[in-house]
Amino acid sequence: MVDTSRDAPLKGVQIEALVVMKIIKTSAQQFPTIATGALVGMEVDGTLQITNSFPFPTVDVPSTDSHQDSASNLAAAAPRAKANVTYQNEMIKFLREVNVDANNVGWYMSTSMGNFINLNTIENQFFYQKEMNERTVAIVHDVSRSSQGSLSLRAFRLSPAFITAYKESKFTTESLQKSGLRHHDILIELPVTIHNSHLVTSLLHQLPSDAPKEELQFPPNLAALQQDPNTPQPPLYPNFDSLDLSIDPYLEKTCDLLLESIENHHTELNNHQYHQRALGREQAKITAWQQKRKAENAARAAAKQPPLPEDEWQRLFKLPQEPSRLEVLLNSRQVEQYARQVDGFTASVSSKMFAVKSNLLPGE
Amino acid sequence: MAEQDSFLHLARPLGPASIGAQPSTAPLSVTIQPQAIFSILDHSTRRPVDQERVIGTLLGTRSEDGTEIEIRNCYAVPHTETAEQVEVDMDYQKQMLALHLKANPREVLVGWYATSTDLNTFSALIQNFYGQQGDGTWPHPAVHLTVSTVPGKEIESRTYISAPIGVTAERAADSCLFIPVPHELKYGEAEKSGLELISSAKDNEDRSQGMLTDLEGLERAIQHVLDMLERVSNYVNNVLDEEATPSSALGQFLMNALSLAPKVDPQDIERDFNAHIQDVLVVSYLANTIRTQIDLSNRLATAALTLGTGDAVAGDANKDGGDNKNQRGGGDRRNKGRGQQRQQEA
Repeated sequence: MVDTSRDAPLKGVQIEALVVMKIIKTSAQQFPTIATGALVGMEVDGTLQITNSFPFPTVDVPSTDSHQDSASNLAAAAPRAKANVTYQNEMIKFLREVNVDANNVGWYMSTSMGNFINLNTIENQFFYQKEMNERTVAIVHDVSRSSQGSLSLRAFRLSPAFITAYKESKFTTESLQKSGLRHHDILIELPVTIHNSHLVTSLLHQLPSDAPKEELQFPPNLAALQQDPNTPQPPLYPNFDSLDLSIDPYLEKTCDLLLESIENHHTELNNHQYHQRALGREQAKITAWQQKRKAENAARAAAKQPPLPEDEWQRLFKLPQEPSRLEVLLNSRQVEQYARQVDGFTASVSSKMFAVKSNLLPGE
Repeated sequence: MAEQDSFLHLARPLGPASIGAQPSTAPLSVTIQPQAIFSILDHSTRRPVDQERVIGTLLGTRSEDGTEIEIRNCYAVPHTETAEQVEVDMDYQKQMLALHLKANPREVLVGWYATSTDLNTFSALIQNFYGQQGDGTWPHPAVHLTVSTVPGKEIESRTYISAPIGVTAERAADSCLFIPVPHELKYGEAEKSGLELISSAKDNEDRSQGMLTDLEGLERAIQHVLDMLERVSNYVNNVLDEEATPSSALGQFLMNALSLAPKVDPQDIERDFNAHIQDVLVVSYLANTIRTQIDLSNRLATAALTLGTGDAVAGDANKDGGDNKNQRGGGDRRNKGRGQQRQQEA
């Protein structure tokens, strides 16, 4: 019975309100550096319930320009750093004493503009799924997307096919042909739901959210109206930020990132091309050598001498190593991510724009 | 949030001198961030069956003069309480504090919380522990936050600081005067979208909610705005029909709001709108084209060898794909540039 539940794939991820707030807090604090942390919880019937989380210690590197890259790299690699594994175990040990679900179920990271599909993420998740616990997820929180109005929290896992390939670290053209692995298959996205505890629900109902229904006193003058402490705050839900009409910064940034990805793709392609040319050259050399040896052997046979060995070329020539296709795969997945992002964004933006237009030009 | 109890202000006897330097009891204001409250509530639901209340440590920041405290974070501390004695796991508190400070170096210890509104001798004892010199918050006062979590009742929160009281040193150690201080719940810009999603689940029976798409959020927001407009126009119509009492202040307010509407030439609107929507659609179109191209390029790269026509062909195919995309990318950039220009003109 244990085995069947182990083999069934995870169906979804349920995140407690507390965890949502904690992730948002640390992400906003660390922005624009990537924030990472651990998630604890437990699995119930194929749904991973995430009930608590804590951030990993930040790495303080003097933020000079030359160190910026290494600092962000360190931050991104934090989940699999040795010190943090110890930190995590320690923390979980303490959390167990106060009745928190003390199972590691994954890690989270913050990102901006959906730019998170890279080697670091893959390695972190691979580390978790392999070393810690097979059934772990990576929660990705997009800070800049969330500031546009609607929260962006997504849960990812590496697909079994990708894990097998990554274990052998074989990403040659040949192995990809054999396994049929494509860039769509690297990550599996799981549906995310938010869950509130009874007490949180009770608290939320207590907060004033709607305009008061009963009759109110008329304010004596304008100043009194503007300074009235009882003026209702805009409700938490729905969020009027989503009515914001600023389009350009977001699209512009996404386009820049998209272009960057294309450039990367181009570089990778050039590498492969270079490799193929080198391969062709070597192969031509080998064939020439083999033919020469054959002719020599024929001559020696005619002269009744013992033939020279014909497989010596393996020692003489070395075929160049094929560059890994992993980068290309990840890059393609990233491009797909950007494209989908643009798609989703333009859908809501164009409807907003039509609404504004018909509002300003009511005659048409 | 909670109604303040009325309290007497008495000239109190000062604590014995042996306590030494007194923590300041100057008034201060406390701001609580939602994740701290959520964390306390979570801790309360996870308390041991036989325990009435649970306690924990509050972390946060303090303004330079110490008059403003922001509670940003907290963690649970195990403790046991019987009729005669209370036991707080000091080791746990110390080690947990060290772990938290590692991850959030800017936060400091500001006080403690309990999940019941009762203040008793044990509260005073714990309060004195948190406010002491050395490991405590001294010279600043320790903040005590109580959050009531009685099922079926409203959640009430109160904040206190304390002053020493008692005639002898022995009495002073386990008694103190709790002074109520004002506090408020505040959330930041970044948390808004998270709170939106969380509060959208408050009316659901199963207390859960899937992620909202942009369009759903937009639809709801527009619906809400329409409802509010409806309410206002109803009122205005009633005033015009002389059915409702007019109010000059409200009228002025509405006039001010309406005068914010921009007056733009219809032709300008038409032009800007067309230019803008074209940009948006072009970007969307290009993004999708790029996606297809990348897909195609990948397929060509891995499929070329099986054709058996040699490596050179595969290489060329790749190159073409790459060049093509680059041109498109360039077009993209040009287009965007134009979009910005147009904006500047407008």
